[in-house]
Amino acid sequence: MKSSKLGKILMALAMVGYIFLWGPIIVLCLYSFNGSPFGVKWESFTLKWFVELFHTPALIESVLRSLLIATATTVAATVMGTIAGYGLYKYKFSGRRILRMSILLPITVPYVIMAGALLVYFTRIARIPLGYPAIIIAHISFSAPLAVFVTLGRMQRIDWSLEEASIDLGADRLTTWRKITIPLLLPAIFASATLIFPWSFNDFTVTYFVAGIGTTTLPLYLYSMLQYSLKPVLINAISLIFIITPTILILIMSYFQRQKQI
Amino acid sequence: MEGNENIPCVELRNLVKRFTDVTAVDHLNLKVKHGEVFSLLGPSGCGKTTTLRMIAGLETMDAGEILIEGRVVNDVPPYRRNCNLVFQNLALFPHMTVEENISYGLERQGLAKDETRKRVGEMLELVQLKGMETRYPAQLSGGQQQRIALVRSLVLKPKILLLDEPLAALDRKLRKDMQGELKRIQHEVGITFFYVTHDQKVALAISDRIAVMQAGRLEQVGIPEEIYGAPETKFVADFMGVANIFSGKVTTKDGKEIQLETKSGLRIIAVINKELISDDIVGICVHPERVRVLPFDADVKAHNQFGGRIVDMTYQGNFVEMKVCLLNNGTDVIITAHLDARLIEKHEHCVGKEITVHWNPESCSTLQG
Repeated sequence: MKSSKLGKILMALAMVGYIFLWGPIIVLCLYSFNGSPFGVKWESFTLKWFVELFHTPALIESVLRSLLIATATTVAATVMGTIAGYGLYKYKFSGRRILRMSILLPITVPYVIMAGALLVYFTRIARIPLGYPAIIIAHISFSAPLAVFVTLGRMQRIDWSLEEASIDLGADRLTTWRKITIPLLLPAIFASATLIFPWSFNDFTVTYFVAGIGTTTLPLYLYSMLQYSLKPVLINAISLIFIITPTILILIMSYFQRQKQI
Repeated sequence: MEGNENIPCVELRNLVKRFTDVTAVDHLNLKVKHGEVFSLLGPSGCGKTTTLRMIAGLETMDAGEILIEGRVVNDVPPYRRNCNLVFQNLALFPHMTVEENISYGLERQGLAKDETRKRVGEMLELVQLKGMETRYPAQLSGGQQQRIALVRSLVLKPKILLLDEPLAALDRKLRKDMQGELKRIQHEVGITFFYVTHDQKVALAISDRIAVMQAGRLEQVGIPEEIYGAPETKFVADFMGVANIFSGKVTTKDGKEIQLETKSGLRIIAVINKELISDDIVGICVHPERVRVLPFDADVKAHNQFGGRIVDMTYQGNFVEMKVCLLNNGTDVIITAHLDARLIEKHEHCVGKEITVHWNPESCSTLQG
């Protein structure tokens, strides 16, 4: 039958897509157990690279740094983005459409340009010290718009008479937010956080510009290793950490989300 | 009920609401008595829901006053108005259990835990849903959700309960059951109900009084028997399903009896059976079930007897709707008659047959401009 033939072709295409998606990641994970330090040819199975990783204080510090930055960014950007999304959806004011569109800017502008602009802004105009403050603010500026969009998407599916019902039953605005609006937005809040956390954790470009001296995050550390290290295979092992950390986080979050949803 | 009997439970004075290009509510004046079921009836877009939302405080007004128990509440926020709203889509909180939903308002008032629990229990007993406390709204049937939404508002003992077509989404049988349930509950708690609907049947069945609204204005206020049996305007007659409406001029008047002549020359006799506000009669109407269908050669020697030909028959279950084209001088006048389905005789009543229609002058209602 024609339709089933088409189905098979589509299936095959989907498989190819997944091979491209999973292939490099699987190869990378496997090669992190490779005995050869240059990583191209398979030599023998070993765990020594992982042992070595845990004996590299600079690396562990950079992981902790990245976790700290990603956590701070996630919390701040999710809160700000959710509130902004709510305001942009609920309140009618002039210029609302322009404001809504302009939120796209940090996502559409090339990261290098955005990063350069932020560097100039931080050092020359706002006088924000490079390092943690600059990195976190920069990360918020490109990840809060994500939360805004996730929130806007969710808002369209919420029954807003629930807020009115709450007010009608004697709750003031603040109580209504706390008891009704936030629980309704919870799926969007979780989705935003699960998007923003890896985004911030993985960011290289923007961080590279505004990190200054001494605030080497994991991606920056990885980059410097790629340039100067004698053991490129270490990168494979680090990458495994890269992949596993956000994955665990996403799993935890989706678990909580399932618990919350009825 | 508590409070002075002379002070209306809710009073609207010259209430006006304009949206950018339309006047949704146009100088509305209304008084709702204590303890009654008052329905605001009208087609969608007539401003009835806007009126309800203004009483609840969820919508601002452009002019006029709203009084609840004689107190102007124009500037009182919705959460301090002592009136509660049952939403069209019910608006039950999906993330809360039945018990949490019902106790939501009581908690906002800061009522003690055990008192809250007691009142929630009483309410669930009132709607026969004991044992459902820990369920979530999504786990309830449509009728059960309906009842929970109702008692979530009733538990606060409001001065007036506003209902925004909460039965509209239900199927016909359930709607009928819930109508009875609403009446019973209202009777038990004695709270004034202000019910907004576009469904004439529901309004007639549950109301003590009905106000018919169109384009932001009131057309007629009265008890259900008046609204249905003696509509005062063309709009009300049409909206209440009076199919036979004759526009024309009054030609003779003899005490209570008048004769109206339509443009097509039809002369209809009617008896005025109530006090008229003005002499300006612009039409007459008669309900289809009050039209009798007789054999063509029958002569009852009475007023309002016309020969005609059956042009359409529609089976409606308990009755048959018959359209009769009068054998009048040229112009087509269609009379609609509702016949008891058991009285239909196959070869007498079929499309094309000539018959006589007749109705009593006392069955007519006069329409005013």
